[in-house]
Amino acid sequence: MDGREGLRIAVRSVRAHKLRSALTVVGIVIGIASVITFATFGASVQAEIIGDIGDSNAGNIYVFGTPSDDEGFDRVLQPVFTEADLAAISEIDGVTAVLPRGSIQVSSIRAGNQTLARSQVTATTPESITTGSIVAGRSFTSGEREVVVNERLATGFSKNLTAGSTLTLRYPDGEERPVTVTGVVNGTRGELPVSNFARQPRLFAPVDPFYEAVVESPSAGVRQRAYPQVTVVTDPRQTAETRKAIEDYLADDADARQLSASDTELVARSGSDFIDEISDVIERITRFVTGIGVISLVVGAIGIANVMLVSVTERTREIGIMKAVGARNRDIMSIFVIEAALLGTLGSLLGVPLGLLVGRGAAAYADVTFALAPDWIALAVGVGVVVGIVAGLYPAWRAARIDPIDALRHE
Amino acid sequence: MSETAATATAASDDAEPTVVVEAVSKHYTVGSRVTALDGVSLTLPTGSYTAIMGPSGSGKSSLLNLIGGLDTPSSGHVAVDGKPVSTASEDERAAIRGTDIGFVFQTFNLMPRLTAVENVALPLVFDGWSRTERLDRATDRLEAVGLANRTDHVPSELSGGQRQRVAIARALAPDPALILADEPTGNVDTDTGATVLDIFDELHAAGNTILLVTHERHVAERADQIVHITDGEIGSIEATGEA
Ligand SMILES: Nc1ncnc2c1ncn2[C@@H]1O[C@H](COP(=O)(O)OP(=O)(O)OP(=O)(O)O)[C@@H](O)[C@H]1O
Ligand SMILES: [Mg+2]
Repeated sequence: MDGREGLRIAVRSVRAHKLRSALTVVGIVIGIASVITFATFGASVQAEIIGDIGDSNAGNIYVFGTPSDDEGFDRVLQPVFTEADLAAISEIDGVTAVLPRGSIQVSSIRAGNQTLARSQVTATTPESITTGSIVAGRSFTSGEREVVVNERLATGFSKNLTAGSTLTLRYPDGEERPVTVTGVVNGTRGELPVSNFARQPRLFAPVDPFYEAVVESPSAGVRQRAYPQVTVVTDPRQTAETRKAIEDYLADDADARQLSASDTELVARSGSDFIDEISDVIERITRFVTGIGVISLVVGAIGIANVMLVSVTERTREIGIMKAVGARNRDIMSIFVIEAALLGTLGSLLGVPLGLLVGRGAAAYADVTFALAPDWIALAVGVGVVVGIVAGLYPAWRAARIDPIDALRHE
Repeated sequence: MSETAATATAASDDAEPTVVVEAVSKHYTVGSRVTALDGVSLTLPTGSYTAIMGPSGSGKSSLLNLIGGLDTPSSGHVAVDGKPVSTASEDERAAIRGTDIGFVFQTFNLMPRLTAVENVALPLVFDGWSRTERLDRATDRLEAVGLANRTDHVPSELSGGQRQRVAIARALAPDPALILADEPTGNVDTDTGATVLDIFDELHAAGNTILLVTHERHVAERADQIVHITDGEIGSIEATGEA
């Protein structure tokens, strides 16, 4: 029998029972949709993070303190890495730059009569602003009241900021001070991979004169600046060894060790650690959701099998007619398998866009760029078809075995 | 007596007969053993028109089903157009039903969701014809039974007589060696029945071999010969005036 005729018969049968068919495929739709949702969402998050880390940041090591128990997770990072620590780390073999990063508390930024609240102001050194990342103007100069802004902040006001624009920073104590914008950047060296750089308005200022967090350095015995996070740029060929050396330093001699609470762990993470960690979380979620998806698919398969059995009974007479006019058992079998496969395909064709839609919503909610996972989509559709076929096999086999005379007598 | 008559009919035709039934019995076991057919032998020459008559439960449908390859005999042998129906495999019997035999049923037995032309084309689907070829053939057969203007109607949109004509067109679709009709006028009114019988007359005139089961004497008389069955046995074979 030609497969297209089987398909035509299947389409008629599905169309004749629209509601029943729709309800039957719900399980498949949910299963496929949940898998697609998390496949695309996971892919989006991963793409975002890997994009942030990029090749240029491959040799970066991010140094910061983290509570060793999960409960203190929301604790703010403390400024514990002193200038003395920075100097010591820069002496380590393989270190090419040490970039401190501290945040400056600013309640708002004003340009002309327009005010922008909730902007992140980062204090760092001029080394963090590389020529390649400057879109317009130049970097700030240490010791001057100069800042650079990212493109998001530059375009955040009715009049775009350019080199030479003046901004007014308002501090939490109410004081307001003017700064000069010297340049616009599309990234900085030493950016944390999870910083979501392009999406948030960002302002970078030189440590001197903006950054004011000071502590007494236990090793130097004097008060000096201290930072909550440091990015160490290393020679990519020996990042692993350099990292080990940094970890050793942090464990023993560092001021940061003495300044931190005992339950704070001082870590040196590489960019790939971040990728691994996030991938791991995503993978766990994906596995969980895939589990839900598989359960839905099994339920969906049972639903299809059940409806196909009903369909076989209802169409006993039709089966008899087809056999009387020359249908072989395998023709009957394929007609019903095709119908079940059609239900499975319908389920996945509805499930994929639904999953994409929800995945897109989740990506928007998590503020990451939506990325498709084409392999998963193809796989999901394939799975839908296969589930349909598997679910249809037994009912189809029952149909094929029906005796034509009994079938023709069937009311 | 009956044996002699059947053999005599066969002898009058030199060509191989279209249907040969040899000592066929059919038993059913439902609690006790029921004998539906008991040693039936019958030969239908090519181009003959035969009616089977007999009381209800005498085995008429059973005989038709065995000849048509829908069922297999408990013992004995059936051949249609030289092909051994009774010993063929299930798939072979399906192929014989599809290409060598055209069934017409009392209850029409059309596929409810297929249009008239698709119903007529159905046997050709299983015989591997292309869609255009089989729809051409089906349209042609529908024209032959006077339904050229109803090709795209589904059965529920047709009258009883029209449905039966679609069923006849379907039986004719593969150019079968034999047309089997089980009470084809049983479910239609007298006028429509007459139309159906006229079509059978035309088919007979065109050289088709027809075997028809009926309760009604006037229907049976349109055939060349009437085979009388009682209790699963052939009682007599009666030649009608027309033969
Ligand atoms: N599948 C079956 N199982 C058991 N007995 C059967 C079966 N099919 C037919 N019979 C029996 O075989 C006998 C002949 O049945 P058949 O249908 O051939 O009769 P018929 O001559 O066609 O009758 P009618 O004129 O009522 O259609 C009957 O006694 C019937 O009960
Ligand atoms: Mg009968």
